[in-house]
Amino acid sequence: MEKKINMPKLAPEMESGVLCAWLKEEGDTIAAGEPLFEIETNKVVNQVEATVSGVLKKQLAEEGDTVCVDTAVAVVEAE
Amino acid sequence: MEKKPEWLKVRYNQDAVNEVAALMRDLKLNTVCKEANCPNLGECYQKHTSTFMILGSVCTRNCRFCNVTTGHPLPPDPEEPMNVARAAKKLNLRHVVLTCSTRDDLPDGGAEQFAKCVRAIREVCPGTTVETLISDMKGDHAALDTVIAAHPEVLNHNVETVKELQAAVRPQARYERSLGVLRYCKEKDPTLLTKTGFMVGLGETEEQIGRLMDDILETGCDILTIGQYLQPSPQHYPLARYATPEDFARWKELALSKGFRHVASAPLARSSYKAWEALEDVHDLY
Repeated sequence: MEKKINMPKLAPEMESGVLCAWLKEEGDTIAAGEPLFEIETNKVVNQVEATVSGVLKKQLAEEGDTVCVDTAVAVVEAE
Repeated sequence: MEKKPEWLKVRYNQDAVNEVAALMRDLKLNTVCKEANCPNLGECYQKHTSTFMILGSVCTRNCRFCNVTTGHPLPPDPEEPMNVARAAKKLNLRHVVLTCSTRDDLPDGGAEQFAKCVRAIREVCPGTTVETLISDMKGDHAALDTVIAAHPEVLNHNVETVKELQAAVRPQARYERSLGVLRYCKEKDPTLLTKTGFMVGLGETEEQIGRLMDDILETGCDILTIGQYLQPSPQHYPLARYATPEDFARWKELALSKGFRHVASAPLARSSYKAWEALEDVHDLY
């Protein structure tokens, strides 16, 4: 079953975030809890963990893209 | 934006955050984790811990380092003490940290609400320890007496920065007043563990840090936290530099050698981050 992973809202005033790095490539097997991509905020770099296990089917954003909160950035074929 | 060093990477799990956030929303509670946009929120919420921010999410002061909204806060919520206790029980917290927005609009600075929260936690969560991370309450002894009388295990009040940067960083506070809060609380009840913290990266010098530690220690303070200042937005006080983990290790050694009983010093150390560790380290000495 496909599951989308969204840009999280890391702060109350956050409307969008810059996806600064992918930590997994398309086709990689990922486990829930593993860091999947990085978002830089004013304070720190957040390594966002996968919330499902499976295979990273599609990266929907490129490194450097600004993505709105709650917009899908990845599609995972869940186990 | 200056490139973040490697040691400022944190983990974030949306499901874990949602779970704690929903509990707080249901009980109409605020956390300083969320309001201050704490970098440790993801880790702490995942571990089912948080720091309650009582007396609302709006502050009457406008400190230039802080992310909490300034404005006109609402009156204290009479249901808040019991809701804090319920949340603490639900999260199975062994150590609860209560902090607040600074409430210069209230005659007692919010002291009575702190005391009510401590008492509610005692009632609902027997055996749980409590840390009150208070504002300076304008240095008012009657207000401080109210908090002391509730007898939290730890009385925490942050001096935030070195003497030389106080006016620029926290214009509505006073260095001597903050030291006075720590000194008064310790003298009033020597069994109370007192704790404070400051940020680095605001432009302070090594000599100023050393003098700050001496001034804090002179109040009888037991526990010290030192963390990196992280600029919440370009409108906040400018970041001077990122201190290295080696800097923090050096300051920890310095503070311990001066006589602090517990020191948490790390880039992402915050005054309530893993607060139970400090308590466990020093509490059995009483």
